[in-house]
Amino acid sequence: MKELIKFKNVKKTYKTGEKTFNALDGASFNINKGELVVILGPSGAGKSTILNLLGGMDKATSGDIIIDGENIAKYNDKQLTNYRAENIGFIFQFYNILPTLTVLENVEIVNDIVKEPKDATEILKEVGLDKHANRFPNQLSGGEQQRVSIARAVAKKPLLLLCDEPTGALDSKTGVEILKLLKTQCESNNGDNTVVIVTHNSLIAEIANRVIKIKNGKVESNNINKTPKKIEEIEW
Amino acid sequence: MTKLTKKMIRDIKLNLSQFITIFLMVMIGVMAYSGIEAYMNGMINAADKFYSENNLQDLNIMGIGFSKENLDKIKDINNVKNAERKLVLNAINSYDNDKGYLISFIESNEISKFYVSEGEEFDVNKSGVWLDKFYADENNLHVGDKIKFKYDSLELEEKILGTIQVPDHLYDVKDESELLPNREIYGFAYVSVNEIPESYIKSEVMKNMNIEDETIFDMYVKDFNYKEYIPYNYIMVDVDNTEEISQVKKEIEDTIENALAIINIEDTPSYQMYQGEIDEGKAYVGVFSGLFLFIAVLSVITTMTRVINKQRIQIGTLKALGFKDFRVLTHYVGYGFWVSLLGALCGLIAGRFFIGEVFLGMEMDYFEVPNGVPIITIQSYIVAGLVTLGISLVTYLTCRKQLRENPAETLRLELPKVKSNSLNITTKGFFKETGFSTKWNIRDIVRNKIRTITGIAGITGCCLLIVCALGMLNSMNYFIELQFEDLYNFNYKLSLKEDISDEDTKELEDKYGANTSKTLGIEIKDKDGNRNSNNIFVYDANEYVRFHDDKDNYINIDNDGGIYVTYKLAETKGYKLGDIINWHIYGDNNYYESEIVGFNRDPQNQNVTMTRNYLESLGIEYKPDTIYTNLDLSNNKDIQNVESVQDINTLKDSISEMLSMMKSMIIIIIGVAVVLGVVIIYNMGVLSYSEKQYQFATLKVLGFTDKKIKSIFIKQNNWIAIISIILGLPGGNYLTDWLFKAAIDEQYDFGTHINVETYIIAAIGTYLVSYLVSKILSKKIEKIDMVSSLKSNE
Repeated sequence: MKELIKFKNVKKTYKTGEKTFNALDGASFNINKGELVVILGPSGAGKSTILNLLGGMDKATSGDIIIDGENIAKYNDKQLTNYRAENIGFIFQFYNILPTLTVLENVEIVNDIVKEPKDATEILKEVGLDKHANRFPNQLSGGEQQRVSIARAVAKKPLLLLCDEPTGALDSKTGVEILKLLKTQCESNNGDNTVVIVTHNSLIAEIANRVIKIKNGKVESNNINKTPKKIEEIEW
Repeated sequence: MTKLTKKMIRDIKLNLSQFITIFLMVMIGVMAYSGIEAYMNGMINAADKFYSENNLQDLNIMGIGFSKENLDKIKDINNVKNAERKLVLNAINSYDNDKGYLISFIESNEISKFYVSEGEEFDVNKSGVWLDKFYADENNLHVGDKIKFKYDSLELEEKILGTIQVPDHLYDVKDESELLPNREIYGFAYVSVNEIPESYIKSEVMKNMNIEDETIFDMYVKDFNYKEYIPYNYIMVDVDNTEEISQVKKEIEDTIENALAIINIEDTPSYQMYQGEIDEGKAYVGVFSGLFLFIAVLSVITTMTRVINKQRIQIGTLKALGFKDFRVLTHYVGYGFWVSLLGALCGLIAGRFFIGEVFLGMEMDYFEVPNGVPIITIQSYIVAGLVTLGISLVTYLTCRKQLRENPAETLRLELPKVKSNSLNITTKGFFKETGFSTKWNIRDIVRNKIRTITGIAGITGCCLLIVCALGMLNSMNYFIELQFEDLYNFNYKLSLKEDISDEDTKELEDKYGANTSKTLGIEIKDKDGNRNSNNIFVYDANEYVRFHDDKDNYINIDNDGGIYVTYKLAETKGYKLGDIINWHIYGDNNYYESEIVGFNRDPQNQNVTMTRNYLESLGIEYKPDTIYTNLDLSNNKDIQNVESVQDINTLKDSISEMLSMMKSMIIIIIGVAVVLGVVIIYNMGVLSYSEKQYQFATLKVLGFTDKKIKSIFIKQNNWIAIISIILGLPGGNYLTDWLFKAAIDEQYDFGTHINVETYIIAAIGTYLVSYLVSKILSKKIEKIDMVSSLKSNE
């Protein structure tokens, strides 16, 4: 399988007052195209920082982040904005959908930034929200809101789908539904879609093709899961 | 419509009260500016048009018995385009002696041409009168009606041929001491010279020649042509090039001996009062519009800070989605831009059609200028544009901090910034002993400086406007008291006819008292040779006219060795005690040098005063032109050799009328102040409440009673109100003083005089507004649902 991501000796240091804190301390790993990857680690390990760096939302202090052959660690703000617009789909723990736009409008908003987005109505059908298209977010359940977030992310036809604790705010039943959707997304497009899920929930790791464990800002392990479980088989 | 536009509209709806505040403040600010501009431009434009289309004269020559030869000589002067003579008399209404007319007998009407409102154009061969339109309206007179007027032995009854407006009669007062024209009792009228009866002129000429018998007169004056003896006392001069008008004046002075005064039209009361009104508008425009726009800016800062803070995660999401920073920035700047643009546009429209129409209408009730229409100029559009851009810039500056962060930072929840250093003050000394609510409020103020400053600025504005509005009324009342009770110590003022004989004057003095004065038109020459018109008040009125120093204490004008000048004149011209003033009387080329021996304060007239003895010591004859009396003349206005009788109560009434108009303006200003106060306090209160809702919910969970939480909430607003009042009271005094100085004409000198009651009313009024709004807002505390309030903060 073709290599999509090469994370090479990446450091990320934060300064708060006179203190410095290394969120990532020389982390390195590779991810191939079409993989469903779970980045696993306890709170404060640096997994969200990896997601932010992969998504071009933050800049590394040092190291290289090569995505599809381009080193985005060298990008300036403008290049990063374009990179996010064209390549990245984000799914957040608390959904982050815009409260004053309807479900359909929340998905259609990507039309303003992407040249050839997917049809918003079609995607809403795929995620089972076609009947709620004209509702506002506060009229939806948490699971439904997360589906909107997924619909918005995939509408861009992203190279990489990045999910930050996507089931963290959901009950187990809804969580399973969301994971199914993410798995479906990964398998669509002839299996070319790559999904990276950041979580502290080790159960989710069982469905992944690859599991990267992070501890104290470093990669503790990077293992291929040759026999990923079906989502229904996970015991929450 | 893009999704972001939809989002913006819905966000604005969600924060409607804050955005309505911004909209209203921008609208009121632009409305005040464009409205005052529109009415001022309307005034300027209407007058310019009136002056040019109806050919206003450039010079007025006043004198005695201007002959045809005089007129022709003036017409022959280089640069003189045209000149016309007129005989101007102050006549009284034969049926009602309290009413009077400024009658002009004219030969032609090429200069200061009539604007005929109703009736026919002037024709010297027509018999009748062209009457002041405003006087006609006030007295319900129409074309075809008849009026009868009397001047000395001349009494004429004339049919009204037309009602007119004339460019040099925009503003006529019966007496200089009247502040406002009263068209019900005084108006101008024009009559053809042909209407003057030969018999009247003949008798006047005979009187001057001391001939009583007509047969003897006929023997002396062969082929008497009475028209050659009409005592024209005015010549209006129209010049080609106004830049060289001083040359024309000089030539007239040299060639026309009987010219007593040559006045530029710009120095005439009609022209000056109109211009003064425009200048007054210019003084107000900045203050009022500036105040509202300042509040708009403050509202924008607080509202946008709140919106942006609340939308932190949404900003991060938009950035994470790949929206360019510029796009996100323009989206948020759009909130300020579109709301202020809409406010500015509505302000322009309301300015033109509300303020402009109302104010211009009020002005046009005073000044007789036809066709006044408010005009919005490019300047108002520019101001509206600048206001919109300014508000957008403020919005940008407010948002840019959040927008500068990278999306990962923005998506992180911002913890409340508590700089322990700035809060240290509340843990030491006096503050250590204060209760929980005091500490809590101090810390809240320290943490929300902008919101606090905005609140203080808004309520200070409210207090300041109340002081200013009432202070203006106090000051005007003080002026009336000063002028009509302290300085004028008479009930009636008799203006004597110009040609009155010494015997007749003596007779009047015997009858009404020898309390007299004389006003001489003079020119003062400064060191550089520039000459300025002024007048000398020659005082021989005993205690009937009194004088004040600059502290409003009475002073005596009794130094017979020099002149007194008013403080304001001295200040304008830089005169000091002991300085020598070089002056001459109009119509007499002898210059006199007089030493300044004292100063007096005159609220209405900035001039020179001297005693009769000093005048006579200069070798100038004292011939009084005014007698002051306290005798009852209420039923006796037609006195032989007296041109007009002024009743002090009539003067007071005319000012009281102006004050009643001022009162309605004051009610509007106070209304605006209260609205401003309510809007600001409510807006700040809503902001402060929504920011503290979580903390209040926590306090509620801890067991604080609603009453206790309410008192915490109200306490802060009370502090803000008290600080604002402390700032607003002196601020109001300062603003009133500034407005007075900027708005009143050069001729006036009366500053602010604000009563203690005004300060008390302003303080209590402001506090009450603040307290009531806080009280209403605090009701919300009862409705805090502890569970959902705490949940929503997650």
